[in-house]
Amino acid sequence: MNPQVPNPNRVLVIDDNESIHKLVVARLRPEGLEVIGEDDGERGIERAVSSQPDVILLDIGLPNVDGFEVCRRLKEHPSTRNIPIIFLTGTTDTESKVRGLDLGAVDYVTKPFDQVELRARVRAALRTKRLQDILEQQSFLDGLTGLWNRSYLDRRLESELNVARRYGRPLTLVLADVDHFKRVNDSLGHLFGDIVLQGIAEGLRAYARRSDIVARYGGEEFAILLTDTTLRAALHVSERLRMSAENRHCEARSEVVSVTASFGVACSEDIGGVLTPEELIRAADLALYASKDAGRNCVHMYRDGELILTTGDPDALGGSGAT
Amino acid sequence: MDPIRSSYESDPDMLEIVCDFARELPARAARLEALLEARSYSDLQTLAHQLKGAGGGYGFAQITEVAGRLEQSLKSGSSETLAKECVAELCAILRAVVVPETN
Repeated sequence: MNPQVPNPNRVLVIDDNESIHKLVVARLRPEGLEVIGEDDGERGIERAVSSQPDVILLDIGLPNVDGFEVCRRLKEHPSTRNIPIIFLTGTTDTESKVRGLDLGAVDYVTKPFDQVELRARVRAALRTKRLQDILEQQSFLDGLTGLWNRSYLDRRLESELNVARRYGRPLTLVLADVDHFKRVNDSLGHLFGDIVLQGIAEGLRAYARRSDIVARYGGEEFAILLTDTTLRAALHVSERLRMSAENRHCEARSEVVSVTASFGVACSEDIGGVLTPEELIRAADLALYASKDAGRNCVHMYRDGELILTTGDPDALGGSGAT
Repeated sequence: MDPIRSSYESDPDMLEIVCDFARELPARAARLEALLEARSYSDLQTLAHQLKGAGGGYGFAQITEVAGRLEQSLKSGSSETLAKECVAELCAILRAVVVPETN
């Protein structure tokens, strides 16, 4: 998955009055906004988590859980914390406004609302949200290559492993390291080294699948996270990635240099023991070192404690050709 | 009382939902009276609060104004007579609303 700015157009209305839902839909749809609704606090929180709206319009006088409590919980939950909340309520006293804003809401609109004002306030909240999203995303990007960075990969690895454990799905990690990179840097300079890294990154991005998460893991090391992918299927992808590096020629100041990379592959289904991010990284790292020891420019897999060379081995690849 | 029309009925974005809203108002009036009769003041206050919030948004400023007064009188518990007057006034307004024609 390549970095991209998420679609900024969904508004969640949490209000127990159906007339208000219809009214908000009629008033915000001409702005090109998608409006979804819930009439209860608990369901509203669940919907916010599952639908990830860009703005939440929240009533205060809700049955069961009131709007203040809903706001507090949305601001506590990691996946909804950054969604701007605008109170949309018939409660007009200053004390309630202050309480709502102190709980983390960005704005407070009283009912009956003026449609022009509501639209303008929603637009303002969306603008802020968009900038926040961009900032957050940039903190997860690698400046040199445009790939995801290590902190993003670590975060995704953790959450994808949870998914893999819960649903019994395979998750595979591929680590790649540019061969003799120090030599390239020392002989041709760091600027050329940067061009090499950019070239390798481009190849990885082009030859990985859409669902794969490609990251620069540090220095000249890259990591590719393959969700819902078995060891065997990941070996095919890895082989393709290895060839993408091998076939790439980097040019600068009339120098043409070919570089290669070594790969290590480990799958959640085949590492045994406790399934943690550290164990999966350790297994892929061992396989990567085995590739370096075997002369570089090849792929090794870690399987049940064994390190096996798979480049040029039709048995290891299973001949299925599945990618 | 003169017929009351929504100030938004010529707005194509609004016409359909104004009709839906207007059509339900006689039933809301009956509900207000039933709640008053049963002295269910907390439910009455909730309904008044909802009408206050929605009325103006549908182009009926009078509904918001009187429902707001009703809510206030119930909240402060000032006098039953005042609440009764507000309910009567509000119900008269709700029943005077004309459902716009749609083509």
